[in-house]
Amino acid sequence: MNQSLLPGDTTPAGLAAALRDVILDVDGVAEVFPARPLWQNIAGAARSAVTGEPLPVVQVEFDGEAVDVLTRIGVSTALPAPAVARSVAAAIREHLGSRTATVRVQLVQVR
Amino acid sequence: MSASGDNFECGHSLEELSIYLDTGEFSDPGHLTECPECQSGLAALRRLAALGDELVSADIAAAGSGTDDWMQSILDNLRLELRPGRDIPVRPDTPGDILTETEGSISALIRSAADSLPGTAAGKCRLDGDVSTPGSPITVRVDVAVVFGHPLEERADALRRGIAATLARHTELNIAAIDVTVADVLEPGFPGPAAGPARPSESSEEKP
Repeated sequence: MNQSLLPGDTTPAGLAAALRDVILDVDGVAEVFPARPLWQNIAGAARSAVTGEPLPVVQVEFDGEAVDVLTRIGVSTALPAPAVARSVAAAIREHLGSRTATVRVQLVQVR
Repeated sequence: MSASGDNFECGHSLEELSIYLDTGEFSDPGHLTECPECQSGLAALRRLAALGDELVSADIAAAGSGTDDWMQSILDNLRLELRPGRDIPVRPDTPGDILTETEGSISALIRSAADSLPGTAAGKCRLDGDVSTPGSPITVRVDVAVVFGHPLEERADALRRGIAATLARHTELNIAAIDVTVADVLEPGFPGPAAGPARPSESSEEKP
C-alpha cells in the first residue's frame, strides 16, 4: 500500500532507494547491505529476475499509515559504532517526517 | 532455511573464498560486494596470508603450509564465527527503534585487533554470556597463535588492552573479563601441536 505523505517517489521501492542514499550520507556508514540476505528472499530475487528491477537494499513495508524500515549496514571504525547506528536511525526518521515508523538498524560489519 | 555444514548462511564457504583469493574465480562475484560475512572471511584470510608471509620470511615456511593443526584450528573457528550469530542490542534514542550489532561483526572486530599485532593470528574468538541482554557480564575469550620471537606476555597484555578499547568504543557490552590464551607458538621446525610435546601456553585474565 502506498502513501503520499513523503516527498518524491512514495512507492516502497522509491522510498527504499531514497533511504539508501540518506543512510550512506551518515558519517561513519561505509556500506548498506541488502536488508535480507538472498537466501531469505528467494521469491524477491526471482521476481527481480523477471521484472529486471533490482531488489531494494533497504526494506520498507507499509502498514496503513505506519512504515517499517529495516537496514543492514557496515560502519567504519572512525566513529563509535553505536553512535553511528543512532545517527542512522535519526536520519531515517528525519526523512520519514511525522509518519509513524518502526526503524530497525542492524550493524553487520565494523571495520 | 539455515546454514548447514561448512557453509555460511549465505550458502558460500571459506573454501570458496580461499579459491577466490588464489585464482580470482567465484561463482557469484556480485555476492562478494553485498555479503558482510564473506567480506569478513576474505579479510581474515588475507591477514592469515600475511602471517604466512612472515613465517616464510622467518624461514619457517613448513609451519605455514595451511595443513598444520594450528592453521586448521584457525580455519575451523573462522567457519563458526563468520555467521551473524546473536543480536547485540544498542540503546536507541527513540523508544521502539531496534538497533543491534551482530555477534559475527564483533567477533570479526576482535579477530582483526588480534591479527593486527605483528606475528599474531587469532584462533578462537568467543563472547561468553548473554550478549542479547543489556548489562549482562560478558567474558571475551581469544586464542592466538604467535610467531616465535615475539614476547608472549607483552603480546597478551597488548592484545587485551586493544580488545578492551575496541569493545568499549564499538559496543555497549558489559565486558567483565578478557581471557587471552596463547595456544600456539610457531617456531622453526615446529611440527604442529598434535605431533610434538605440549606447546608453551599462557593464559591470563583480568578486568579491562
